[in-house]
Amino acid sequence: MSRACSEKDFVFHSSVCLCQTLHYISTSSRADMNKAASWSEEEVSLWLTDQGLQEYSEPLRNYDGPALLSLTTDDFKRPPLSKVTSDGGHLLLEKIETLKIEHHIDVHKNGHANGHMVLNHNGNAGSAGKTHQNGMVNGFHKELVQIHIPEPASPQFPPEWGKTAVAFVYALCCFVLTTVIISVVHERVPPKEASPPLPDKFFDFFDRVEWAFTICEINGMILMVLWIIQLSLLKHKSIVGRRFFFIVGTLYLYRCITMYITTLPVPGMHFKCSPKLYGDWESQMRRVMKLIAGGGLTITGSHNMCGDYLYSGHTVMLTLTYLFTKEYSPRRFWWYHWGCWALCAVGLFCILLAHDHYTIDVVVAYFITTRLFWWYHTMANQQVLKETSQTNFFTHVWWYRFFRYLENNVPAVVPRSYQKPFSWRLLHWSHVKYTRIDSD
Amino acid sequence: MAVSHLLDEQEDDTPNGGYHMMVTIEDGSRPQTTPTGRPHPSPVTSSGDQVDDSKSTRLARGFSKALRKNQDYIRIPVSRSIDSLLPAEWWKTGIAFIWAAFNLVLTTVMITVVHERVPDKSISPPLPDKFFDYVPRFEWAFSVTEVNGMILVALWFIQWLFLKHRAIVGRRFFFLQGMLYLYRMVTMYITTLPVPSMHMHCAPKLYGDSQGKIKRVLQLVSGGGLSITGSHLMCGDFLYSGHTVMLTLTFLFIQEYSPRSLLWRCYHLICWFLSAMGVIFILIAHEHYSLDVVVAYFITSRLFYWYHTMANNRTLRGSTHNYLNRIWWNRVFNFLEKNVKTTVPCSFSWPLLPPSAVFKNPCKSYSIVQSAQD
Repeated sequence: MSRACSEKDFVFHSSVCLCQTLHYISTSSRADMNKAASWSEEEVSLWLTDQGLQEYSEPLRNYDGPALLSLTTDDFKRPPLSKVTSDGGHLLLEKIETLKIEHHIDVHKNGHANGHMVLNHNGNAGSAGKTHQNGMVNGFHKELVQIHIPEPASPQFPPEWGKTAVAFVYALCCFVLTTVIISVVHERVPPKEASPPLPDKFFDFFDRVEWAFTICEINGMILMVLWIIQLSLLKHKSIVGRRFFFIVGTLYLYRCITMYITTLPVPGMHFKCSPKLYGDWESQMRRVMKLIAGGGLTITGSHNMCGDYLYSGHTVMLTLTYLFTKEYSPRRFWWYHWGCWALCAVGLFCILLAHDHYTIDVVVAYFITTRLFWWYHTMANQQVLKETSQTNFFTHVWWYRFFRYLENNVPAVVPRSYQKPFSWRLLHWSHVKYTRIDSD
Repeated sequence: MAVSHLLDEQEDDTPNGGYHMMVTIEDGSRPQTTPTGRPHPSPVTSSGDQVDDSKSTRLARGFSKALRKNQDYIRIPVSRSIDSLLPAEWWKTGIAFIWAAFNLVLTTVMITVVHERVPDKSISPPLPDKFFDYVPRFEWAFSVTEVNGMILVALWFIQWLFLKHRAIVGRRFFFLQGMLYLYRMVTMYITTLPVPSMHMHCAPKLYGDSQGKIKRVLQLVSGGGLSITGSHLMCGDFLYSGHTVMLTLTFLFIQEYSPRSLLWRCYHLICWFLSAMGVIFILIAHEHYSLDVVVAYFITSRLFYWYHTMANNRTLRGSTHNYLNRIWWNRVFNFLEKNVKTTVPCSFSWPLLPPSAVFKNPCKSYSIVQSAQD
């Protein structure tokens, strides 16, 4: 029996009929012809699968050849066949008829079988009848040639959690480094009296509002929570998470550099900076721990060190979470995008309103965040930009190799598909139940 | 007659080298006629002599018979030369130049405005800077920077003059320069940094004396903002550093629009050296904070790479997955680069000769190719 006929080898989905046809051609050799009546259960099962009727494999698993040939419509009205059939067994019965006719032909070995063919294959495609006329000549043995047509490859997105872990460790290192640098820089901030706040245009127009920074931090926390929920619902969360960690890590690394090389004075006289420690390592370590534990937020009371002004970490987090939530959520959720945008914009405005950062800090932070995000995603989405070439300047950035390592196996734009974060199947322990499908 | 048409067409090459095969489809049912009076380079003479006439008739007939065997002529378009892909469009360069000049003038006005707001050295001492902690100040260092800058600008100008597609390249240079100075205006204005070092002598503040301010603006513009020319008296333009911008930008352009052979690579190395030295000497002279230099380098290089990647990859321009389209100057970019269909090749030509007499200096040296039959 021919196993070469599977739906993969042909382009058309109506290949069932074609499949059937060639199957018949292949079985037209006399050696195969009378096998239908002598099939074992296994062969019956194989035949059912070949015909695309594998739903019957289970209930008919004990049927051998003759039993198969003796199925009637009444059998399909009783369980277990009634449960799996969608058309009352009509299609299967037709195919069984065909098998019988083959058997009949073999017995009779006459040309009048063609007449039978045409009559009995009304329900099938006409080509089936024609080919039978061609192929059913006595003793004509036809070889079946398998034409392997490759399936159109759908892009695969391997999760590669290892790489996500590497990106996470990188982000963590950058965070820790930032806190260490903050505590180092804190020692160097000139006191308010010696170095008054620098002139700033925004501060000239807007007076300080005390509660504004709390709003900014609440907005930041809301955006962060929304992003985490969204990330857990994404199907390709490992890839997207990897990107987020890498970009956050790099932005904080840049921030370390800019904070360290030049120290800006405090932006407002309202600042209460912790006293300087002058080389007391233990206390400095404790401050670092406290800052990490509190996430650098003033609400949690961990942000009482000064000097980390250029550029603003709050702006980075607000902008980045907004960009990511917008990027990896469905396009039609415009209300959600606008809501996040409002949260982000209000947060940025409140940072300045609270006189907690200079305007330059916020502007530079916004600029660097957006450019890095767009740069990374443009490179990741275009295969042509991932390779070095004369015209591709994107590869001139210092983090190009790290980027290649992370995004090497991501072949295309990551689709926005969602799934539940953990499988509900863990709660099910019973077997799979079939339901009756109504088809017209 | 098909024959003469064909021969005429072949003589008729257009100067830019693009030509196409003729299109006519000869109708076999037409009776043969001799070519009448059309001059063609075949051995048929145009004399009216009887003998010659019959000879020409015979030849023409033979010719047309041969041609009639292949009666359908298929048009094969030969690709256009590269000139049509890179139109000059000097008017766009003019617009870019106006944009750059406008931004330069606006920057000088902004420097004058900011100068009034710089806190005094006694009130706001110089901010702590890591580089200044390690490296003491050298007075002559800033002159070195400015000399380097002038050399680089001169080199770039000469190179630009000799480029074949100088309109396109010039446009890009002016646009980027204008954009960088625009960003610089914004950063200078919103927050004012104090002077980096106690040695700096800032000109006295004018407090509303508009005439004096205008005079200062003119002085700054005419001197190009350099200390050597004595025009750099005003303080407050620290973040970010304009000197770094010019040094970096000219180097990037020099490197990009010149050949890649070994000799030229030495030239690139020299220019890189000049540029790097210039930038470091700014810091050694304590004329700018380290932050100013770092931010300037970052913004210049990123903008340059961004622009050129967008310009060189046509596929990016319409793509929905291209985040580069979200940049705010995207429309201006499309306007400037719409008709530039391919990467600008590095080819040189004499600046004053007409375009037809092009002196081709190959960017890559050719070597003799061994054919397989040898």
